Amino acid sequence: METALTGLVGLFYAVSIYMMLSKHIIRVLLGIAIFGNAVNMTIFTAGRVLREVPPIIAEGRTALDGVTANPLPQALILTAIVISFSFFAFLLVLAYRAYQELGTDNTDEMRIAEPEGEGLPPLGY
Amino acid sequence: MPEFMNDTALLWPLAIPLATAAICAAAWAYPRAQQGASLAGLVLTLAASLLLLDSVMSQGIVTKQFGGWAPPFGISFVADRFSAAMVVISSVLALAAGIFAIADVRRRQVKAGFYPLFQGLMVGVNGAFLTGDIFNLYVWFEVMLIATLGLITLDRTRAQLDGAIKYAVLNLFSTILFLMAIGLLYGVTGTLNMADLARVLPQTEGSVALTVSAMLFLLAFGIKAGFFPLFFWLPASYHTATIIVSAVFAGLLTKVGVYACFRVFTLLFEVNDGGIRPIVAFFAAGTMLFGVFGAAIQWDIRRILSFHIISQIGYIMLGLAIATPLAMAGAVFYIIHHIVVKANLFFVAGAIHRATGTYDLRKAGGLMKSSPLLAVLFLIPALSLAGIPPLSGFWAKFMVIDASFRGDMAWIGALALFVGLLTVFSMSKIWIEAFWKTSPRKVARVRAVPVAMLVPIAALGLITLAIGFNPEPLVAFANVAAATMTDPAEFIAAVFAERQIAGATP
Amino acid sequence: MADGSQSVTFLALILPFLAAAIAPALTRVFKHNAAWVLALAPLFLVVHFFGYLGDVADGRTVTGGYSWIPSLGVDFAWFIDGLSLTFALLISGIGTLIVLYAGGYLKGHEQQGRFFSFILMFMGAMQGLVLSDSFMMLFVFWELTSITSFLLIGFDHAREASRRAAIQALVVTGLGGLSLLAGLLVIWAATGQGTLSGLLATGDALRAAPFYLLALVLVLGGAFTKSAQFPFHFWLPNAMEAPTPVSAYLHSATMVKAGVYLLMRLNPVLGETVWWETILPVFGGTTLIVGTLLAIRQTDLKLMLAYTTVASLGLLVMLTGFGSEIAIEAAVLYLVAHSMFKGALFMVAGLIDHEAGTRDVRRLGGLRSAMPITFAAALLAALSMGGLPPFFGFLAKEEIYAALNFSGGWNGVFTVVAIVGNALMLVIGFAVALKPFLGAAVETPKHAHEGPVLLWLGPLTLAVVGLVAAVFSGVSHHYVSEPMAAAVAGAPVEIYISVVPHASLALLLSLVTIALGIAIYLLLDRARDAMAGVLAAIGWGPDRGFDQVIRGLIRLADAVTGVIQNGRLEVYMVVTFVMIAIAVWTPMLVFDELPSMPSVPDLTFYEWTVFAIAIIGLGAVVYAADRLTAIVSLGIQGFAVALLFLLLGAPDLSFTQFMVETLSVVILALVMTRLRLHPSDHRPTPEKLLDMTIAGACGLGFALLLLKVTQIPFDATLSEFFSTYSYVIAHGRNIVNVIIVDFRGLDTLGEIAVVMITGLAILALIRIRVPRTSKQPEAAS
Repeated sequence: METALTGLVGLFYAVSIYMMLSKHIIRVLLGIAIFGNAVNMTIFTAGRVLREVPPIIAEGRTALDGVTANPLPQALILTAIVISFSFFAFLLVLAYRAYQELGTDNTDEMRIAEPEGEGLPPLGY
Repeated sequence: MPEFMNDTALLWPLAIPLATAAICAAAWAYPRAQQGASLAGLVLTLAASLLLLDSVMSQGIVTKQFGGWAPPFGISFVADRFSAAMVVISSVLALAAGIFAIADVRRRQVKAGFYPLFQGLMVGVNGAFLTGDIFNLYVWFEVMLIATLGLITLDRTRAQLDGAIKYAVLNLFSTILFLMAIGLLYGVTGTLNMADLARVLPQTEGSVALTVSAMLFLLAFGIKAGFFPLFFWLPASYHTATIIVSAVFAGLLTKVGVYACFRVFTLLFEVNDGGIRPIVAFFAAGTMLFGVFGAAIQWDIRRILSFHIISQIGYIMLGLAIATPLAMAGAVFYIIHHIVVKANLFFVAGAIHRATGTYDLRKAGGLMKSSPLLAVLFLIPALSLAGIPPLSGFWAKFMVIDASFRGDMAWIGALALFVGLLTVFSMSKIWIEAFWKTSPRKVARVRAVPVAMLVPIAALGLITLAIGFNPEPLVAFANVAAATMTDPAEFIAAVFAERQIAGATP
Repeated sequence: MADGSQSVTFLALILPFLAAAIAPALTRVFKHNAAWVLALAPLFLVVHFFGYLGDVADGRTVTGGYSWIPSLGVDFAWFIDGLSLTFALLISGIGTLIVLYAGGYLKGHEQQGRFFSFILMFMGAMQGLVLSDSFMMLFVFWELTSITSFLLIGFDHAREASRRAAIQALVVTGLGGLSLLAGLLVIWAATGQGTLSGLLATGDALRAAPFYLLALVLVLGGAFTKSAQFPFHFWLPNAMEAPTPVSAYLHSATMVKAGVYLLMRLNPVLGETVWWETILPVFGGTTLIVGTLLAIRQTDLKLMLAYTTVASLGLLVMLTGFGSEIAIEAAVLYLVAHSMFKGALFMVAGLIDHEAGTRDVRRLGGLRSAMPITFAAALLAALSMGGLPPFFGFLAKEEIYAALNFSGGWNGVFTVVAIVGNALMLVIGFAVALKPFLGAAVETPKHAHEGPVLLWLGPLTLAVVGLVAAVFSGVSHHYVSEPMAAAVAGAPVEIYISVVPHASLALLLSLVTIALGIAIYLLLDRARDAMAGVLAAIGWGPDRGFDQVIRGLIRLADAVTGVIQNGRLEVYMVVTFVMIAIAVWTPMLVFDELPSMPSVPDLTFYEWTVFAIAIIGLGAVVYAADRLTAIVSLGIQGFAVALLFLLLGAPDLSFTQFMVETLSVVILALVMTRLRLHPSDHRPTPEKLLDMTIAGACGLGFALLLLKVTQIPFDATLSEFFSTYSYVIAHGRNIVNVIIVDFRGLDTLGEIAVVMITGLAILALIRIRVPRTSKQPEAAS
């Protein structure tokens, strides 16, 4: 199972990085979202995919029956998903506002902070 | 009561800013109240951090287990000398910024949420310095990142939006990369507690997964700290923010990345194994050199200073690359000195802007005549940055370069000296353009610089002078801190000393 | 030494700094007369150090100090022997006169207080330099002299020439300073000694060490730049932009001698090797000739003196390089003589400039009746510079020629160099001191009259001392020259030379020099034109080279930064991912630890289906023709991941993923409808290939890495703990929830903080719209 997952994860990484290398900010955003998913799956796989049984203690028992899925990676991923979503939302709004103000979503054309062809500093004394 | 304060010393640097952030957010419509609450919060945080430092210096490493869960099962907070010093100095910086803000923050910036965001940033910073759990470190990094994103877009100018996009994309990616490295590390060792990792990793067989994991940590922190060649986001964004935000960023952000790098590479991984040392040395050299090259061609004071941040980070990384106790002590000394000096320079830039109306060196001038006090206040941090004795920067550079000569990496020491000369040149260019040269503008109206701006600048300058004239206390402190860092046994022992499981016995 | 005198010496060392601190206030009150008060500080130093003359003459050295930075092995300690004592007396003695001179020279200048402050700071730094015992203390003061020199040269900062000269001096001496630091660190690391007294006690150890040559070159780097040896000499004439008190004090009598001081100090441990005895004379001799030749060409009094200072420094270095006892005696005598006559002549030049309004030697003449005292001082100083008896300069000159005769090798060349150099120096001395005063009176811009006492006291005192000290040469030698030479040579010496000439080869050479000098002096104008012609023919010099180097460095920095920091996010991302790919693949390939290839995985049908859905979603995101498809495809891959979580025993995770994915798709769709975007990503093919390669490399690398990780046995201690105690202590059945809320509750606190701050940040971002006016990047107010 882990093998198949690693293959899928690799694919996710490749696609997300391809997207992140785009000039268009929205595509970069999509790439980041997919990359986040890929990392979540990485954590999940790294915690070893033991069983398809969720880690829940049954009624009337005080401990788990047999082997279940690893609970710790799940908790970590939950935190990560929420945080990633917050950032996704912010980034989206930022891209939108940048589009409104700068008139483009092409990062090559966003040259306000670092303008092109600025010239040398004063060379005299 | 003092018992209680001592017991909970680790929590206050985190709890106070969090509470203050909440109060400021609640008082959204009352800017004055926010300002007052923020200042009070900053003073209290400074007091708490000093209390923590005192604890650490008298008791050694101080730890706290959240929820009472014994390590490695719960999250630990650990304060050794290094982290305690970092918390203190960042609280000092935050207070200085808070006082500067009295003169510099506008109403619309307060309405945009400056104070809650600023306090939120301090939460993240303090949390990152104090945590003893690597996933928890990731969470605090994220808190810091989002707070800084809010702060950088405070005025929503076009430059800020442009800079923020580059900043956001690169930094967000770096934290996700950090998360991946955590995942891989967890997959190999099964634990997240730093002390436990320190205990387990030396016994784990030298797997390539660990080496790559270490490399990924280095890259992730490298982006955050501003190493060559990953520092793009810094000069692309720092100069767009309002000056007080730039000052805080300059003093804190990269240092948290550096701190994390030091923690991971002294506690968890060794710089010596896996051939990481030459890579770190190479990065450090490139960072020093390309940082100062970038600074040499700018004419906006803030952009010059932004590139100098990068260059100085290279010096700190030099300490990590050499990894002898002297080098580490030098790096610790350097970090503390640099936080004070760099933020101070940005504050001075803000004062220059207030006096002349511009950050552009081509348009500024004549400040030596009109405000000699500002000239002196600039000269102190500028000469300190350049490494001129007897200011703090000289001793920092001396320790690091001496360590490189004694640690068989003399080439990088020589490069560091050369970069030092270029830094001197750069600072004297700013001096000449802004202070000595007469202003090219016909009507050189010079506005008065408010006291609220001068007080923090002078205070930080005094700290620089004090460290410069009497470096012994800080050097001795740094030596002990470095000794703890190079030998993790003490750290591990301190964390695992408490073995209780939330009271009840199973 | 008694503890009392230790604290007095400490007070003496910091007194100039204290005086500097109160100087501006004093000047506001007393105006230029504050000079009389401030001069008490260096006078105190003179008196204090005079007290050590007896001890030092008897061969004892005085040490003392306080612990400063024990953790770094740095002490605030001083070492007083003949060498440092002579320097200390020169610095404080001439310093007293200079402070008075500055009072008169800058009378009425609105920043005179600041000037006093800088001069006194420099004095303190220079004193500290020559008296330091510890390496780092010496270096601290060395750099302080560079900084104060920078501030003083650029004192008239409105003029670009001043600023340029200041920064040039700073860069050149700064470069030397760093070289010196490196050298000191090398010596420290190699010998384990961090103090001069300790180093001098080690004798031959440094000479025999493998690092000797490196240490020597580095130290010479510092000494040669500070003492303006060729080719680093160009900053000194430019430093004449500074007001004359600065030129007289720093750039002739004291600061530029710091390099010579260093060489003299280290002669016992670095000297007497082939390297030392070759490099120093060669550089020194070249500097001597170059300096004097360039001096001939000048018409400005200060520049003439500046270039001869360069030459004199060269002569001193040359003599120190010879290393024989007589050469060292000669160097000592010449150093003392030069400080006195050059300081006096500079002050005279300043006097002439101040009173007559010009420094151009061609436009001056016949001032002897208008300025008699100045003339007297000038005459005495010039005669000393020319090496005529009964002046101190004569003693030095005789000893120099005696040294030449008795040193081996290259004898002839150096003799010729010395003769020509000294002759030309006589020429310049006379040109500065006699030409403006003798002959017919010439109309000058200002009506010339004698200067105030503050101005002529200095030069007259120095000139007279130069005479008296020579006449009473026995006393001078016993208390000053012999101890100093003994310190430099490392063994006691005896000096016999006196003002009474006695027949010898040295005397003959002196006469030849004087004759040659007088001859050239009479033909000065023609010599000047000839020299000007030669220089014009050569064209280029190190001064222009300095500008070129600076410009070149900036252009290099521009090119490099243009490549690295080019402002395009895409490039930044490419570099980042290339670094990551290298980081991931290199260890795996280098350590040859690729994971073992597993068998085809054994999955159920619905697991395969979910995989397929995910892959289809991914593909669709990349190739989407319109944005709605891209958004929906994003949702598809997200839902697929959620399904996967569900299948693999993570229901909470799955639920959260579903929710978040839905929200993402919805807000993305809402936002995208407002944007007019290109439907798909038109990447040109080469770029597409590059991106695919990088993405593929990273993706494959990560996959292999993850595979490698999963093949290592897993330590499930934490998970077992959670499973065991989740219900028993934490009273929860859903272990994942318990972890989030209890075991790792702090993470959740942080997570909530992130959400809250995001809300604030977004609120600010969308709430208030910035009016659409064009904005400059810098305007934040």
